[in-house]
Amino acid sequence: MKQIVLIVILAAVAAAVPLFVGESPYFMGIMISVLMMAALSSAWNLLGGYAGQYSFGHAAYFGAGAYTTMILISLFNLNPILCIVAGMVVACIIALITGSIVFRLRGHYFALASIAVAEIVRLSVLNFEFTGGAQGILLSDVSLWGLDLNSKNPFYYGMLLVLVITLAITAQLRKSKTGFYLQAIREDQDAAASLGINLAFYKNKALLISAVLTSVLGSLYGVYIRFIDTSAVLDLKLSIEIILTAIIGGVGTLWGPVVGALLLVPLAEMLRSNYLGDVLVNAGLVSETSAFGLFLKENLAHAHVLVYGIITVLCILYLPKGILGLFRRVK
Amino acid sequence: MIQHLLHISHVSKHFGGNVAVSDVSFSVDEKQIFGLIGPNGAGKTTLFNCITGFFPATYGDVIFDNKKINSLRPDEVCHLGMVRTWQRVKPLGNLTVLENVMVGAFCITNSIREAEAIAQENLQSVGLTEYVGKSAGSLPIGLKKKLELARVLATHPKMLLLDEICGGLNYTETGSILDIIRSVREKGATIVFIEHDMKAVTSICDRIVVLNSGVKLAEGTPEEITNNPDVIAAYLGGGHHA
Repeated sequence: MKQIVLIVILAAVAAAVPLFVGESPYFMGIMISVLMMAALSSAWNLLGGYAGQYSFGHAAYFGAGAYTTMILISLFNLNPILCIVAGMVVACIIALITGSIVFRLRGHYFALASIAVAEIVRLSVLNFEFTGGAQGILLSDVSLWGLDLNSKNPFYYGMLLVLVITLAITAQLRKSKTGFYLQAIREDQDAAASLGINLAFYKNKALLISAVLTSVLGSLYGVYIRFIDTSAVLDLKLSIEIILTAIIGGVGTLWGPVVGALLLVPLAEMLRSNYLGDVLVNAGLVSETSAFGLFLKENLAHAHVLVYGIITVLCILYLPKGILGLFRRVK
Repeated sequence: MIQHLLHISHVSKHFGGNVAVSDVSFSVDEKQIFGLIGPNGAGKTTLFNCITGFFPATYGDVIFDNKKINSLRPDEVCHLGMVRTWQRVKPLGNLTVLENVMVGAFCITNSIREAEAIAQENLQSVGLTEYVGKSAGSLPIGLKKKLELARVLATHPKMLLLDEICGGLNYTETGSILDIIRSVREKGATIVFIEHDMKAVTSICDRIVVLNSGVKLAEGTPEEITNNPDVIAAYLGGGHHA
């Protein structure tokens, strides 16, 4: 109950943010990315953090939502809400097929198989004609209930809503039989089975909830950017980013993915836009023409993936339970 | 097979060419404490795995409560009222002691509140009440064994299969586990247990089966077993001259 109140309060605070920064599309863009990554990572956390089933293929569900929505809008100009529902159905189907095959495997094999399924989805989309193949899908116009879909606000609130729903489901789950069962599966599958837990059923349940939430975010993303291709929504890189956000924030905690996204998304953006180099140069600490200045300007912006990787390694070495793990009661 | 709660009929388990259990049959009656003993590698744990659905038997039938359970999954077997513990304890390490037992209790209830009540009750019966908030992984081995016992008791089983529940425990700890087992039987459950500690087995069991190299060597009351020359030979070596 306490957690639900906290979720509502923080959601209200987040909902007020656009009122103050409404004029800055750049900032809003970053905030939308933060909310989306927080929600994606929270949805992954239901399966990875609570049931302990590390999926490396969540891009498949994100892509399922994005592609289904974009195809239906561009071909039939369907109401985007219906398209989101259709995306959920497609994600369900992929999840059920994946789960029924892959959950027979344990441990590392599940992680590997989830990559394989995601790659199958990616390669299929790349080679079908109705999915736009390598060119992707571009949406020229989309409308819903007279909302201004050229503004970022509807997407900000959309992402926020999905994040709140995901967090509420997570908080509720932790207080339910299913939540106990998922954690039992994470801790020891044999013990769980011997205590009457149907492993495949509960793993599939977690995967299904996780996949459906992920697909909604994919749908929102597609309509928001209005252009998708396989490298944007079905790439292994996306799956890994989702996992890293959860790991750095704190796997198996309610707020870990949110903390991870608040930290990593702006950081990635700063590195990408060479914010650090600009600050140092502007402060007069580094000359723009010096070797170090040139290095910052020329290389650091391209090295954001490297920096990201270093942070991940440091986190794994020194904060194995994530940032929130630091605050967890040690019993 | 009328009043037998568990009936093992000609069960064999092969792993490739290796025969771990060969043509073993016996029956366990309701409210019995039934011992399964034998030297290391005799096939006792494998037989438990066949009975509880972890590996299906290669040949033979397992009949529990008049139902054939050969091809059921472990969770289905548990829901029929047969639950096991593990020789190497399997605590849900990052959950608390209370949460561990609640997981067991969810076998018979969907409500958090009821599960917690059942868990508290069973923790009390094994004497772990003061540890409820501790993480299960941090308990010493003796208490982990008791935790396993509380967790299976919370499923309200008809039959418990205990795999070396006294293994690695000292004299006092063994005694307190045996007391718990007796009181569980008083409440109407049936117990099959694997044990190495002959003193523990003979003091508590109504009937004993001895396995050796996957084959049933003897069956009988504790007195019959302790006086059986084949059993003595199997335990002390020698005896069998080809």
